[in-house]
Amino acid sequence: MKIEFVVNGESCAAEVDSAMRLIDLLREELRLTSVKEGCGAGECGACTVLVDGEPVCSCLVPAVQARGRDILTVEGLAKDGQLSVLQQAFLDCDAVQCGFCTAGMILTAHALLMKKDNPTDEDIRTALAGNICRCTGYVPIERAVRAAADRIRAARS
Amino acid sequence: MSALKEKERTIQRPEELAPGRDFRYIGQRIPRADGPDKVTGRYDYLADGRYDKALVGVVLFSPHAHAKVRSIDCSRALAMPGVRVLTWEDAPDVLYNSGEWFPGQNDHPDERVLTGHARHVGDRIALVLAPDERTARIARGRIVVDYEVLLPVVDPEGAREAPEALHEDGIREFPGTIAFGDVEGAFASAAHVEEDVIVTPRIHHAAMEPHAVFAAPRPEGVLELHTPCQILFGIQQTVAKVLNLPFSKVRIIKVPMGGSFGGKQEAVFEPLCAWAAMTLHRPVLIVTNREESIAATRVRAAAVGRVSTALDADGKLLARRFDVTVDAGAYLSGARKVLMAMGKKTSRLYRIPAVEFAGRAVRTSTTPSGACRGYGSPQIHAITEIHTDLLCRRLGYDPVDFRLANLVHPGDSDPSGASDLGNARIIECLTRGAERFGWDHRSKVLSWGRWRRSAGFACCTHGNGYAGTIYHDVTEVSVRIMEDGSVVVRTSLHELGNGTLTAVAQIVGEVLSVPLDRIVVTEGDTQFTGYDIGCQASRVIYVCGESARLCAEQAKELLRSEAEKLWGCPTTYENGELLVGGRRLSLGEAVRAVETKGGTSVDVHLTYSPDRNPGSYGVHFADITVDTCTGLVTVNDFLAVHDVGQAINRNFVEGQIYGGIQMGLGMALTEELAFDAKGRPSARNFDKYHMFNAPEMPPIDVLLIEKGEPGGPYGAKSIGEIATVPTAPAVVNAVNRALGTEMTCLPLTPARIVEALAAL
Ligand code: FES
Ligand code: FES
Repeated sequence: MKIEFVVNGESCAAEVDSAMRLIDLLREELRLTSVKEGCGAGECGACTVLVDGEPVCSCLVPAVQARGRDILTVEGLAKDGQLSVLQQAFLDCDAVQCGFCTAGMILTAHALLMKKDNPTDEDIRTALAGNICRCTGYVPIERAVRAAADRIRAARS
Repeated sequence: MSALKEKERTIQRPEELAPGRDFRYIGQRIPRADGPDKVTGRYDYLADGRYDKALVGVVLFSPHAHAKVRSIDCSRALAMPGVRVLTWEDAPDVLYNSGEWFPGQNDHPDERVLTGHARHVGDRIALVLAPDERTARIARGRIVVDYEVLLPVVDPEGAREAPEALHEDGIREFPGTIAFGDVEGAFASAAHVEEDVIVTPRIHHAAMEPHAVFAAPRPEGVLELHTPCQILFGIQQTVAKVLNLPFSKVRIIKVPMGGSFGGKQEAVFEPLCAWAAMTLHRPVLIVTNREESIAATRVRAAAVGRVSTALDADGKLLARRFDVTVDAGAYLSGARKVLMAMGKKTSRLYRIPAVEFAGRAVRTSTTPSGACRGYGSPQIHAITEIHTDLLCRRLGYDPVDFRLANLVHPGDSDPSGASDLGNARIIECLTRGAERFGWDHRSKVLSWGRWRRSAGFACCTHGNGYAGTIYHDVTEVSVRIMEDGSVVVRTSLHELGNGTLTAVAQIVGEVLSVPLDRIVVTEGDTQFTGYDIGCQASRVIYVCGESARLCAEQAKELLRSEAEKLWGCPTTYENGELLVGGRRLSLGEAVRAVETKGGTSVDVHLTYSPDRNPGSYGVHFADITVDTCTGLVTVNDFLAVHDVGQAINRNFVEGQIYGGIQMGLGMALTEELAFDAKGRPSARNFDKYHMFNAPEMPPIDVLLIEKGEPGGPYGAKSIGEIATVPTAPAVVNAVNRALGTEMTCLPLTPARIVEALAAL
């Protein structure tokens, strides 16, 4: 079945079937390979993408549910080659080691910062609860999200 | 509940972090070179690539822990367009050991690429190939295998006594011993003898990227294999053995890796993939999912360790005796090496005149074990450090004072005959750590309602390469200063995500005063980069980093001396420029001149073999609260103190420590891959395998002791493996202290804690 949707600001159409998951649609059909499969079971968050601004595990969602939705992957975050504040903060805080969890972490944090421009430290940790990182112990990731929140607020005021 | 956390878990701002010192690049917080690609999703791991003309292979795994295949019917799979199936009957009858990384190591070979005699759930029976993964998986589902189910052996003690050996070789156990000093006499004359048995769990590495590998036949009979691995030349020799090819015809290329922690160190799917590609004359891609990587790759070996300690009347260590069983799983793999590595640690933390270490690796009907961050070090330190705390309690010693009286000193030798300990700063780690952590007050047991709160710590050591062991330690590196003054460092390194390439660039940049954005450090490709024994054994900074430093020094001197010859006047190298007579030349100008006029390129190749292998040291402190009703443990606060010689990159060192603690907390409290009596794994995926997530992590304070280690680049030594070593025993000691228990079976799950409390 053919569906239409928006990915990273661009309209797309794709042929999908009932066995196809959103992660397959993004990775295989659209070649958005920032979306990683760490468990395929909704347990690790590596496959996180934003659907209408909400983080979802794309390994659990049937592709057909993308119909009419607005999907964001990490490929869509940088504007004109300019990293987003969060991406830059991940670099500055060394929140990336092997990088396999990174796209999911950034998108989860992005969704948080869209909703709360002044998250508490507890908000940040809670938001990241569904994303597993085996490399960083989360400490630099939390710092990156904190720094990004601070910078976004500082830029506004 | 709020009383539990009097310390706020505040996330630090970047500007609050301790700055680097002294050097241009060394010790600074330099961003990693691959960071921009990783935050934009452009860092393509193996499974992200496109492989035209490749067949995608999925392995048909045994659902039984022990079974023989009576028959296999592939007809319905083969009826699907483009599907091919290779079974164990097609496979070469070559046995190999996945943990052998150099020819002639004689690690007992007992594994085949595919087998008709399944020895664990997840053993490889057949490889199903199709133009795409989905078709291959559907085809796999259509294969009917008739198994004769046999009795599995799950308990390692049982494996020694099982009526029939699991393997045709008939071997029940692979023993190993280390002994020195008069153990017998020490125990006979001891004022106190204390003994404990500690059990450590089987652990899934959980690198977030599941295993993947790609192989393609190339012209002239060359097999090319792309793998996110840790020991290129080890993979090469295993693949060459299985395919019966000369090493020169087996090209292994390291590709981007989404974490390893030892899980991608041994040859797991590489020989199979290579063989399939050569057999079918087609490129073959194998990408596994999480279930497959949990059941069918490698795990941290579970261990059972009995330790007895002989002490004199003043609490001085006289001797220790160990009896250790390491569960190799279905194949021997690296398990006997892990056993011996455990033994090697027993004389490097405390001054001890006599040790008798006897152990064995045994095979069971469970997922094979192998290398895992620390390579036996977390297991042996769990055994000794939990035991040390318990013996202190039983004998009334203060655990800090007891250790201070027995810990090694800088410059000590290792009485077992291994390499000297070097600038071993463990005493400083413990004294400064205890003060910073507030050990005196935190170690008191607080009790209110159903909660108990206290603290614990554990000490540890780990190595820096292979010098002084039965293995050789050799690395090659080339530094070429190019015609524009930029630099290529050709190495056979493997970036594991820990920042290796950037750290080596920092070292070379420091020597040459070349900005890091003008330096490229390669990963390994067996056809183009020199030999290296692999990114293992915590040797990368101390050995490969030092080789890069020496090589860069030689490149610098080559350029300087060639320029001096060319211009015939005194020449010095200063701040990334040449000072020739009174004239300043950029590196590029100088290189161009010595090339065009002097006929010399500035390309230095170095083979390096270290003559020492000092210890790295560390102490972790954990402040915990236990809910005595539920058995749940909260880790309130954590301090990691590490003797690293000198941090090359502060961010990377701290990053290793944070990540190591996350793994160690799992080993202490939640992570265990258990098997039931039928040999079925307790966890198939992460839903049943709990790793610490962000809200569960404690705040982590890091204290680095940087007193320089001779023989390391700028005094640096290892951190990546040792970072996870003392975490679990620190937490277990804290829980035992808080509860007055003597729990020695890890992890301390709520059920085990409740049970121990009930038995008090
Ligand atoms: S891959 Fe989707 S949650 Fe792990
Ligand atoms: S950076 Fe490797 S899993 Fe998070």
